[in-house]
Order: sequence, then structure tokens, then C-alpha cells
Amino acid sequence: MKDIKLFIKNIKKYFRYAVRSAKAELKSEVSDSYLNWLWWVIEPLCFMLIYVFVFGTVFKASEQYFATFVFLGLTAWEFFNRMLNGSVKLIISNRDLVTKVYIPKYILLLSKSFTYLFKLFISFGIVFILMVFTKVPITLNILYMFPILIVLYIVSFGIGMLLMHFGVFLDDLANLVHIFLRMLLYLSGVFYDITTRLGGDLAYYLVRLNPIAFIMNQLRKTVIYAGNPSFEGLAFWLVMGLIILFLGIHVIHKNENSYAKVI
Amino acid sequence: MKKENAISVKNLHITYRGLKKTSIRASWKHLFNKVEKFEALKGVSFEVEEGQILGIIGKNGSGKSTLLKAIAGIFSSDKGYVDLHGHTISLLSIGVGFNKKLTGKENIYLSGMLLGFSEDEIHQKEKEIIDFADIGDFINKPVKTYSSGMHSKLAFAITAILETDIMLIDEVLSVGDAKFKKKSYNKMKELINDDKRTVIIVSHSLGTIKELCDRVLWLHDGLVKDVGKPQEIIPEYEKFMLENKN
Repeated sequence: MKDIKLFIKNIKKYFRYAVRSAKAELKSEVSDSYLNWLWWVIEPLCFMLIYVFVFGTVFKASEQYFATFVFLGLTAWEFFNRMLNGSVKLIISNRDLVTKVYIPKYILLLSKSFTYLFKLFISFGIVFILMVFTKVPITLNILYMFPILIVLYIVSFGIGMLLMHFGVFLDDLANLVHIFLRMLLYLSGVFYDITTRLGGDLAYYLVRLNPIAFIMNQLRKTVIYAGNPSFEGLAFWLVMGLIILFLGIHVIHKNENSYAKVI
Repeated sequence: MKKENAISVKNLHITYRGLKKTSIRASWKHLFNKVEKFEALKGVSFEVEEGQILGIIGKNGSGKSTLLKAIAGIFSSDKGYVDLHGHTISLLSIGVGFNKKLTGKENIYLSGMLLGFSEDEIHQKEKEIIDFADIGDFINKPVKTYSSGMHSKLAFAITAILETDIMLIDEVLSVGDAKFKKKSYNKMKELINDDKRTVIIVSHSLGTIKELCDRVLWLHDGLVKDVGKPQEIIPEYEKFMLENKN
């Protein structure tokens, strides 16, 4: 309980900092390039075109509304992927800051997550434009994306906290995470529908035990196919996400001031 | 009337140990082997009153910098605690943490917020900081393009203009060119002489300590060897250092 109170207090205290730092970082990312902020739109758009071509034309995928299907999945996946890959080396890449002033370390992750959220919402904008273009029926069920995204955020933030902690001490964790995420990319059904392609027990477990596959499935079900999400599933991952998050908060509180001694 | 304490340090222990960087393969071994420890501070207790200027002396490796970092909250204690009684604090020596990708101006805000100031307060002092740092147009360029001199000038300007209640100074600064050095030394003296400001100075220059401090703490091998007036402690320390040379 003490951990949670302190966590909330710190988030409140440093929220403005996190927002400001995220804004500044987004600005600095594009300030030197010729096309400037257009990159935030061009980049995801190009990736989508590549995947749609490769999987739609080369592998002849048959999913309905395939382009939107891929791009929606990719949007959720990119956020998850960035959060996990970004958190491993987060403390070390902020060495200058961490060794000179006290800052609750999850504020670094919070700030990073804001930049990823920003990109996520741009990506969603493209999804909607795509839906209009490819004549996907738009229903109110789209609004289910918000609770689903909240679950995605909490799960990613929790896992990110743990990776951030272990990333300080284990030099090669980044490599492991990288490989693991690559495997997950292909196993989570970003480019295909797990249930129809794999079927059987394998698909059953892949969809249920893998948070990102579950989230992608739910997003597609509600946003593209106008269905209802699995509320039990969402509740389950919400609780799991909160447990991981509390674990992360506890570990960070216990160790954060030792990081400066290591890096 | 007795003044209130600004800093209380009680039985502070700091150990560097098993937190060394390692690979996953090596970490299996760690589970079974004992990890070597190094105790930098072995139970330090002292108090500093509000407005006091405390000098810390001691030979290399006696734990001075570790102590400062612990007071600033960058290191955690393994035992004991540091209580700042709600005062804001900054470490003047190593400056503030910059995000090198961001511009100097953005870094003024971010570091200021980490020192405990609101965006409005920083906004009011922004111009003063930029004038003091005196690095021209570079203030709008990313910090990674700065020379080391510009880097420290900006860092000093931020901590000096955004005045915190407690200031920790590690070695009296020699920042930038001769002109800036003089300016920063004067500014520092002005800050130190403020009656309400509590200051801790770590220095090897006994002259500076004698000139600036009201009290001196002598740290030896992670323990407090003596605390008292500069006139009493410094001769003793000088004698001790001479004897230990032979």
C-alpha cells in the first residue's frame, strides 16, 4: 500500500515534467529532418504498405478488410514493442540525468510512454482514414478501443517497469528482449488471424496467454468487425497488468537509488 | 534561540556491492558466490542548522562525494537515513542532468522542474539564467552541440539562479573561461553568504574552507573523525596528514 501511495504522489508531482519532456523529445526527433513532423505520418503509412503488399499480394492473405486488419494490429503491436524495447536501456541512456539529480525512475518510462502514445494515436488516425477508404462499416463499437487501450497501456507499463529494472544490471537483456519480441511479432498474429490460420489448442493458448495477441484480437473484433470485446478477458488482463505494475513499482522503489552506483 | 536543523544525517551507511553490471551468464554464478562489498560510509551522523556553512574535508576516498550524493538523494542508504526537513536541494558541482538531444532552453525547464520548481517560477527566471550562462544562440541548439565549457556554464547558471534552500558544492568550481570563473565565484559567494541558505562544501583547499565555513566536518575512512570550528579542526587535520605521509 505504501508503494502505491508513493507512486501516485510521484506521478502527480512529476506529471508536468513527464509531459514537457515528452513534448520536447518529440520535437527534437524531427527538428533536423527535412520533412519534419510529416515523418510521424509517412513512416507508419509506408510500413503498412509494405506489409499489406507482402502479406496480401505475396502470401495471398484472405482476411476481410486486410489492410485495416494488418494496420490496426500493427498499431497496437508497435506501442507494445516500443514500450518493451525502450524500457530495457532506459536508465542507462539517461545516465546524465540519473547520476545527477533524483527523479523517480518510472517518470522516465512515463515520459517515454507519452511519446509512444502520441504515435499510437497518429496511427489510429490513419486506421480510421483507411477504414473510410476501404469502406469498413463504422459503428459505435469502435469506442471499445478505449478500455482495450487502457489495458494495453497498463500491461505494457508494468512489464516495462520490470525490464527497466533488470536492464540496469543485465547487460545482455536487451538482446534477449529483442529476440523474444521478434518471435512474439510472428506468433501474435499481426499479419494473420491466429484462430483461423492455426486453429486447435495452439491458437487457443496463443490468443489467451499472450496479452498482445489478445489485445489485437479484441481491437479487430470491435473496431473492424463491430463485435463486442471479451469482457472476462479484458478484466483478466487488467488484473494481471495491475499485478505486474505493483510488482514493478515495488522493485523500482526498493532499488532505484542504487542505479546511480552501477551505471 | 536555537536554529532549526536543515539537514539531519543519522547513522548513514552506504555500501557498493553486488549491484555490479553483469551478463545473464555471470549472474548465475552470483547466486552462489559471495559478492565483494565496499563500505564507503560506515555510520555517519551529523546535523546542519539552517543557514550554516559546513565544510567537509578528508583525504581521497574517505567518502566525501558519496556523502554528498546521498544527501542529494541520488544514492540510497543501506542503513540510517538523511532528513532534509522538506528543503529543496541541489548539487552545484556536477550540475544538473541534461537531456543532450534537447535544446538548452528546454533543458533549463526540465532541470528546473526536477529541482522542484514550477514552470511559472522557471519562466520568470528564464531570462536571468540565459543572460548569466552567456552562451549566445546556442541556447536554442541541442545540448549535444555544446562545448564542455558551455555545458558547465549553463549547468552552473541553472543551479545558481534557481536558488534552492540547500546547496551542495563539490570542489569550488572552476567553470568556463577566466571571465566566467570570476563571475561564478562571485555569484557563489553571494549565494553562500545568504543567511537563510544552508551550504555544504567539499574541498581539498583548506584555505577556501577556512575562509567560507562556520563549521568543519572531518571524514576519515567512512567515519566522522571530528566536527568543530575551522580554527580547531584544520590544524589538527594538517598535522594528521603530515604524520601519515611519513
